[in-house]
Amino acid sequence: MKRVLSLAAGYTVLIVWAFIVVAPLFWLITTSFKDKLDVYLGPKFIPWIDFIPTSRWWIRIFTVEKNSLLKPYANSLIIGLTSAFLSTFLGLMAAYALSRFRFRFGFMKNEDILFWIVSQRIMPPIIVVFAIFIMYQTLGLLDTHVGLIFIYTVFNLPLAVWILSNFLGQIPPSIEEAALVDGASPATILFRIVIPMLLPSLTATFLLCFVFSWNEFLFALILTYSRAQTMPILIASQHFQRGPQWWDISALATLAVLPPVAITIGLQRYFIRGLILVGK
Amino acid sequence: MGNLGQREKRLLISPAVILLLFFTLFPFVFTLALVFGKVSFIGGKIAIQFAGVSNWVRLLHDQRFWNAVLVTLKIVGIAVTAEYCIGLVLALLLYKKPFGCGFFRVLYVVPMLLTPIAVGYTWRMIFDVGRGPITGILQRVGVNPIGWLVDPNIALYSIIITDVWQWTPFMFLLLYAGLEAIPKDYLEAADVDGATAWRKFVYVIMPLLAPPSIAALLLRSVECFKIVDIIYIMTGGGPGQATESLTLFGYNVGFRAFDLAYGATIAFSLFFMVLIAAMFFTMLTRSLRAIRLE
Repeated sequence: MKRVLSLAAGYTVLIVWAFIVVAPLFWLITTSFKDKLDVYLGPKFIPWIDFIPTSRWWIRIFTVEKNSLLKPYANSLIIGLTSAFLSTFLGLMAAYALSRFRFRFGFMKNEDILFWIVSQRIMPPIIVVFAIFIMYQTLGLLDTHVGLIFIYTVFNLPLAVWILSNFLGQIPPSIEEAALVDGASPATILFRIVIPMLLPSLTATFLLCFVFSWNEFLFALILTYSRAQTMPILIASQHFQRGPQWWDISALATLAVLPPVAITIGLQRYFIRGLILVGK
Repeated sequence: MGNLGQREKRLLISPAVILLLFFTLFPFVFTLALVFGKVSFIGGKIAIQFAGVSNWVRLLHDQRFWNAVLVTLKIVGIAVTAEYCIGLVLALLLYKKPFGCGFFRVLYVVPMLLTPIAVGYTWRMIFDVGRGPITGILQRVGVNPIGWLVDPNIALYSIIITDVWQWTPFMFLLLYAGLEAIPKDYLEAADVDGATAWRKFVYVIMPLLAPPSIAALLLRSVECFKIVDIIYIMTGGGPGQATESLTLFGYNVGFRAFDLAYGATIAFSLFFMVLIAAMFFTMLTRSLRAIRLE
């Protein structure tokens, strides 16, 4: 009896939290299908009972307002994918070097270099953003894709190095040594042996970096104003321009959360593994 | 792997190191110049003059700064604690792999990956007094509307609720991984000795879960100190300055009022706070290890 009771209590907690997780998302998605009056006349909850769903706003986003609303989406994709690729690639190079060769820069050895790279993640962005703003202004990188790609690559690099060096530590170097004895060049070893073995970890790293770039707000807010605007900036600016026009912005916000949700659910095995390693 | 030349080794690591130096160390030094300087714009060019500690004197006498410090500390203190407790409960419930575990686990992770601006916007709607669902439900039960985002005494807690919703998954995930790493025979041995669930939790699970707990608390607090996006969209720091965090304050001063030097000084004070927090948790880990070795 006591067992049944504790089991029931456990499931109650699990289900309550599941509800808490889902409810805001439900509200966000349903609001994007509401007519103006259904928003203005107080809260409506259940589609087809409380209100009749309409796809008007969704159609509008993809037709009339296509240029102004979908361009930031494309920007976010381009910037996110490019910078995630760069941080994964550069991160792999650095992590591989640190796990397989011995370095010495002055007093710094391998572990010190690794610690230095990873500790960069602790730095609050607001500290460096003043200098980067002035730097970009001088270099003409303000409001450009390249500018954001650079900054996102750098800010995800510590994460990429950390995750990949953890994974590399699990692969014994003996396989690579055997290949070397057989006369394979370092490039062959990297591309034919290391990368195929690391593919799941590389996927996890890439996805994490992509999601972090996709979600980033402060740098995008300060370093872009129109051409290179990303999705979070669009949502924020629409919110301040349009005020209580919830339907449009809800549709935009739904679009914004779509890639991360799809990634989590579709590729959960890689992804959660990568996330867990962040804490190690 | 010794026959690879020095040059090739360096070539592998240098892109990462050079990029990091260029984008973090160099700006950091530049910011250091800003906090002891005065910025003026002469003919489109930026000039920095040495101004001693004037920025710091101003900072220490600034009511708005101390308010931002308090707001940030309150958010970090309350939100991180709540996230840890909820995350721990969820992890404890799920690590024995009950029926439906996989489903719950994926679902619970989702919020932390969502765009914070979109999350903030969603909660902004939910907390809306006129049209939001919470007020609607409470009114049906007969409770007076609460000014979730417009009451200066409550707005901060609405921000905290949103942060807890989004970041509890992070704690859950790290603690879940920590629980999975506990050797099963420890728990079985406790079972054989007839330990109750509570004693097992206090004497077996918690001591083994302490290191991952500290790591999770460290990582989460460091991130939480930087909080800005959900505040920006939910309240904009208001009402008044009731929810203005340090990052938001620095942004407002630096890029709205365009006082770069003072903005940088505010940012620098945040850096000190993050550093102290990081050192605190590192020391905790060390002393924990020392206790274990004895």
